[in-house]
Amino acid sequence: MNNKSHLSLGGVAVLGLVLLLAGQTVPKAGLPVLTTSAGQSTDVTTLNIVLEEAAIGYDYCDVPTAEMVAGGVGLGGREPGPGFHVEVTTDLAKYPAGTPYKAVIFAIGASLKGMGASGLTLESEEARLKKVIEYCKQKKIFIMAVHVGGESKRGPAGSDNERMIDAVAPFADYLVVTKESNKDGRFTKIAQANKIPITEIEYALGLVDIVKQVLQ
Amino acid sequence: MNRKELMAVGLTLVLAVFLAGHTSPAGGKVGERAAGPVIAGEGCTSILVGRGASVDGSVMTTHTCDCGTCDWTWRHVPAADHKPGSTRKIYHINQYRTWPPAEGLKWDLIKKDFAGLEIPEVPHTYAYHHGGFGYMNDRQVSLGESSIGCQRRMENPTPAAKFDITMLTLLAMERAATAREAIQVMGSLAEKYGYGFHDDGEMLAVADPKEAWIFEIMPVGPLWTPESGKPGAVWCAQRVPDDHVSVCPNESRIGEIDLANKDFFMASPNAVSLAVEMGFYDPKSGRPFNWKRAYSPQEGSAASTNGGIQRLWRFFDLAAPSQAFKPETPNMDLPFSVKPDKKLSLQDVMTMTRDRSYGTPWDPIKGIRGGPFKNPNYFNRREPRVIDDGRAEYTTVTQSRAGLPDAIGGIVWIAFGSQDTACYMPFYAGVTELPKSFGVGDHWTFSRDSARWAFDYTDFHVQVVYSEAIKDIQAAQAKYEGEIIGRIPEIDQQALALYKQKPAKAAEFLTGFSINNTTTVVNAWWKLGDDLLVKYNRLYLYNTEKRDYERGKPAVPEWWKKAVRAYDILMEPDKK
Repeated sequence: MNNKSHLSLGGVAVLGLVLLLAGQTVPKAGLPVLTTSAGQSTDVTTLNIVLEEAAIGYDYCDVPTAEMVAGGVGLGGREPGPGFHVEVTTDLAKYPAGTPYKAVIFAIGASLKGMGASGLTLESEEARLKKVIEYCKQKKIFIMAVHVGGESKRGPAGSDNERMIDAVAPFADYLVVTKESNKDGRFTKIAQANKIPITEIEYALGLVDIVKQVLQ
Repeated sequence: MNRKELMAVGLTLVLAVFLAGHTSPAGGKVGERAAGPVIAGEGCTSILVGRGASVDGSVMTTHTCDCGTCDWTWRHVPAADHKPGSTRKIYHINQYRTWPPAEGLKWDLIKKDFAGLEIPEVPHTYAYHHGGFGYMNDRQVSLGESSIGCQRRMENPTPAAKFDITMLTLLAMERAATAREAIQVMGSLAEKYGYGFHDDGEMLAVADPKEAWIFEIMPVGPLWTPESGKPGAVWCAQRVPDDHVSVCPNESRIGEIDLANKDFFMASPNAVSLAVEMGFYDPKSGRPFNWKRAYSPQEGSAASTNGGIQRLWRFFDLAAPSQAFKPETPNMDLPFSVKPDKKLSLQDVMTMTRDRSYGTPWDPIKGIRGGPFKNPNYFNRREPRVIDDGRAEYTTVTQSRAGLPDAIGGIVWIAFGSQDTACYMPFYAGVTELPKSFGVGDHWTFSRDSARWAFDYTDFHVQVVYSEAIKDIQAAQAKYEGEIIGRIPEIDQQALALYKQKPAKAAEFLTGFSINNTTTVVNAWWKLGDDLLVKYNRLYLYNTEKRDYERGKPAVPEWWKKAVRAYDILMEPDKK
């Protein structure tokens, strides 16, 4: 779909569906931004398409380590390889290689198939996420976590998805989730307990306007 | 250089190449794939046979459901009448998800994954048999499936997409009296309510007693919303000419399309425009629109991928050897369908589902790959990927036959587990219940109450001395599968006589026949597994009748002993 069609739709319908919790505004983070997955599901592809729709350049890596994040734009020159994906669409004229990231966005969603392809187990994925989040906190890099997979991809308590949520959501600076994903109020509870602003959206399309506000 | 040194040098070269990555005459490395934007995975092969291409005039489809860990539950859903205003709940159904049996049965637990959508119910829903997908309804509409993937930007894993492929197939079973209706039912629901979530590009073989179609459907990206007014899916269907056969081995099969030819093509209104919008097709290029090249391009050939995508070439070569299809031909240039050199019988099709590419450059037992007992699963189970897959949950062959009442004309043949060691069992469309042992389907809990475990149990005992034990299996297949195929005309006539009295009597008869046959076969396979364990125990050959055994049999072949000696020489430490 082209930008025009989505923007017009976004303007008419989707903005009205974005529900900010009372008294909260969309936080600002700025660019450059790194997108990544927490759990290696295809939801990170949705996130990347959202950024493309918003015409925002980004760096993407499926399994970045804290050292790679420290490498800034271009992830220290890491090249993609088997089970390791890197994509750099950041405007290098504005943000040359090595520019520290101002934001990291995690698309939460566990996929055993995805983790298998990356040579990860649930435990090693949790450990990797912990280190990346610690680095972001230390360097005051804005952490945004999104969950667009919906309720039936959440699974029961203790499921792979729930563990990914626990690994990332409580440490985020901003949470954006679809209504479907937050049907049981799980993300609202995490937000309230950790004083994290949260936005519920109807569809992934609602994320387009939000990332523009957060990153630009 | 002495003989030993010469041998060591030669073998070093051979084994170094072998150990480094198994080359073939076609070159390249097993597992290497030509770079392409779409990797659909390697599960499921579906074959289609037009009525003019089959010996008995039946339209056939097949489906190897070969995920390796999926639930293999089958069940029958009865026909039903619905009051005006009734609704049908839609569920998100993950093809791959399983539950421990202690939690309940799959088709009850699916109801926890309500997609948040209820659609108006139709006045009457047809009865059908389904496993991981719908396969045969009481109007002889039949299906097979194969995942084909799609361009990355088309995937829509968000809950805005209410339909997965499994749910669409169930709705097709419930609502369609013909293959064309099934395509329209699935296409229109996906357009209206969105398609994707657990699935992306998918192919379905859709058939009835008259014709077979290849239906392909894909999501339209994660930013789709129902309020957009745009279709939530893009789909296209092409009919297989009546005297042709075709196949889908995890690759999109539809190329150039002629939507003016409504007898051979159907599509969603966005079939071409979406490709233009997403930048997958430029109308100014001067090239005609090509469905697969736009939405699901699969680069490479059997040869260029060293067998990685050889099933397409292999099928055409099996069906029409006179046309001498070349493994070097890029898969996207191979035809949509082909007229077979000879019409295919049901058994021919079953044999095709058991094909292991023996005698081709990608023969899985070539050289020492199969070990001393020529086991095609021994070296590298899925590389190259062949049509028979040891990881199959089950394989189906459907027959839709004109000239008989639908309840009798339609048959779905089900074989559990790896095709080479399994046995096809018939279930007529008019059957009103499936065996209880088909309702238990979990890979992690062995159960003697589950029909499929009988076949896995036997398959397991074949692996040890494959070259010998497979002969025992083939003898059992000839008895339990071959004989029942031979009895089908007689069963047809008995059922037809009852049908003329009262259709319900035919249904009762066919149900009894199918369940009784299944019980016989499943029990025979449990016993076969036991017998194989005893017969080849400790790699001896035990004769239970004579209460005797032969040491040294089954014999380890001389070439294997030589290979072992060669390996020893190769690995011997250097003497200084």
